[in-house]
Amino acid sequence: MEIVVCIKQVPDVPTVRMDRERMTIIREGVESVINPLDYIALEAALELRQKAGGHVCIITMGPVQSEVALREALAVGADQAILLTDPDFAGADTLATSHVLARAIQKIEPFPDLILCGMQTTDSDTGHVGPQIAEELGLPQVCGVNEIHREGKFLVVKRLSDGFVDTVKVTLPTLLTVTKGLCPVRDLPLGALEAAFSTKDVLEWNMTDLDLKKEEVGFAGSATQVRRLRTPPPRGSGDIIEGPPDVLVGHLLRRLEALSILDEEDEKK
Amino acid sequence: MKKNRLSDSIWVFGDYRNYFQNRVTLQLIAKGKELAKELDKQLIAVVLGDQVHQYAMEYVAHGADVVVAGEDPGLMEYQVDTYTAVLARWVEAFKPQILLAGATSFGREFFPRLAKRLHTGLSADCVALDVEKDTGLLVQTTPSFGGELLAEVVTPDHKPQMATVHPGIFRELPHDPDAFGCIIYPEIGPLPEIRVKRMRTRPQQTHDIRLEDAAVVVAGGIGLGSKELFGMLSELADLLGGDVGATRPAVYAGWAEEERLLGQTGKNVRPKLLISVGTSGALQYTTGIQGAETIIAINRDPNAPFFKIADLGLVGDAVTVLPLLLDALRKRV
Ligand SMILES: Cc1cc2nc3c(=O)[nH]c(=O)nc-3n(C[C@H](O)[C@H](O)[C@H](O)COP(=O)(O)OP(=O)(O)OC[C@H]3O[C@@H](n4cnc5c(N)ncnc54)[C@H](O)[C@@H]3O)c2cc1C
Ligand SMILES: Nc1ncnc2c1ncn2[C@@H]1O[C@H](COP(=O)(O)O)[C@@H](O)[C@H]1O
Repeated sequence: MEIVVCIKQVPDVPTVRMDRERMTIIREGVESVINPLDYIALEAALELRQKAGGHVCIITMGPVQSEVALREALAVGADQAILLTDPDFAGADTLATSHVLARAIQKIEPFPDLILCGMQTTDSDTGHVGPQIAEELGLPQVCGVNEIHREGKFLVVKRLSDGFVDTVKVTLPTLLTVTKGLCPVRDLPLGALEAAFSTKDVLEWNMTDLDLKKEEVGFAGSATQVRRLRTPPPRGSGDIIEGPPDVLVGHLLRRLEALSILDEEDEKK
Repeated sequence: MKKNRLSDSIWVFGDYRNYFQNRVTLQLIAKGKELAKELDKQLIAVVLGDQVHQYAMEYVAHGADVVVAGEDPGLMEYQVDTYTAVLARWVEAFKPQILLAGATSFGREFFPRLAKRLHTGLSADCVALDVEKDTGLLVQTTPSFGGELLAEVVTPDHKPQMATVHPGIFRELPHDPDAFGCIIYPEIGPLPEIRVKRMRTRPQQTHDIRLEDAAVVVAGGIGLGSKELFGMLSELADLLGGDVGATRPAVYAGWAEEERLLGQTGKNVRPKLLISVGTSGALQYTTGIQGAETIIAINRDPNAPFFKIADLGLVGDAVTVLPLLLDALRKRV
């Protein structure tokens, strides 16, 4: 089975801090990681390859630094990696991102049987890119998958959807977005990352390689624009009470009465 | 502007699965109507299925000016391929300005594909919608970085302006049995073949929780330290006629089901009263609860960030405060 996994390098959320004055992300000290759900997609691809044979190809669209994410994926066991990078790709929303990724997937030979994405990223958090690649390539899609079985020309997959557990059968080629619970993430073997840097190649495709025009990609190819960034509105703080437990409980009961959640007590205790 | 027109209006996608629990469509009809008033447009609900008349009537009773309905046995199941085909066709025919759906699992799977087919923008899981004064554009406020940041997004040059909206953010209008509206049934056109075939569907356990609708929510965090202490929250909630919510670490600890998770990656609640015990007040959590009218916090650390947003903060140890509170309440109610 030929599998393409789309991965994105994202800031490691616990290291992200906000500059509240300027409403921006503080870049210093922020580490980058493979989006956690994309890592799960990669693991799922490797597991399918183990059972069904074939190849796993990793692609990412991003600045040149994203090559590190691809190297890590190679170290874990991917066969091939392609970096889609071009100064004009910057500022892309999901419409423009999915266009570049779909175009790159069309150029991969042979055309994959399966495309895997994460269900969503931790930074932009939209979950749009997977379904939008599927739409551009005319493929069926299933989102939020947490179990995959192969049955001949079909995949039987499970997913949680609005309080229901669905089991669906989908024709290949197809695109799935995966969520946690799919498979455990294994540790990198010692030395594998170094080996991935020295032995395996990362292909690099830019706008010309993909036969794209400036107005189709990046900021110019995006339909949405961010007007401004802000932090959630603050809520003022109220009374803060310190004291022994019975005093605290007394305060709480009085507040419940004031809110008419408890009836007022007739007599004093 | 010509008000009584189907085109150029505000559309809300009708998601009626689990009608009694999933109220997001009704919430969006209410909000959409507000936007429609501001822009002098009609609010239109769209509904697809094999028998949709009763839902169409409900949408009218909850404020829709017009319902655009499609009835066909092939539309019985919520399927991304078929729903995209029909809605894309109708959007091209009627050209709505704005198209909204609830950020349910289905909404979040369906709308990206539809937006791509229509070659327009989409924002995800919005927590606010406003009209920009000078341009009349829809300002879509969407959280990123797990709710640390809110981005205000617009779609200036593409139509429709599309957004999925977090359930529980807006309030539905009361049911008005006398409301007047019209229901139209445009031609559906051919449906695509089914490539994703449903084999089995079973309800997830505890899916019947209606946390979003509870007037009182009692939430617990990892600070409770044990499943037993967390369990006391259920009794507290029962005594106050409410329901139980949890932070991410408490869910991870196995004290509460995922369905009870509050916050950016969980549910948004807007109860009359929220009591939060043993929670530090991380932004990812507080984004989900700050719509509560009154927030009471119990935490033993006087410097817990949560006290900054609480209306009443009690500095104390849950181990002693909770049993005492339960005793007092058992005597009272
Ligand atoms: C991308 C992302 C998304 C996230 N989404 C969510 C989300 O949707 N919802 C969510 O909840 N979290 C979410 N989180 C996690 C979030 O950042 C916090 O880690 C979490 O909310 C903290 O939970 P807590 O308050 O239970 O635990 P802690 O932060 O550990 O706080 C425990 C508190 O309990 C107090 N305490 C301890 N013992 C006692 C006692 N005996 N009596 C009283 N008080 C006591 C402590 O003083 C402390 O303040 C997300 C994180 C990321 C990175
Ligand atoms: N720049 C990118 N390069 C490669 N894959 C991406 C990129 N952006 C998003 N994806 C894929 O699409 C999924 C959903 O991303 P998002 O729509 O940003 O939440 C991710 O988990 C990735 O699998």
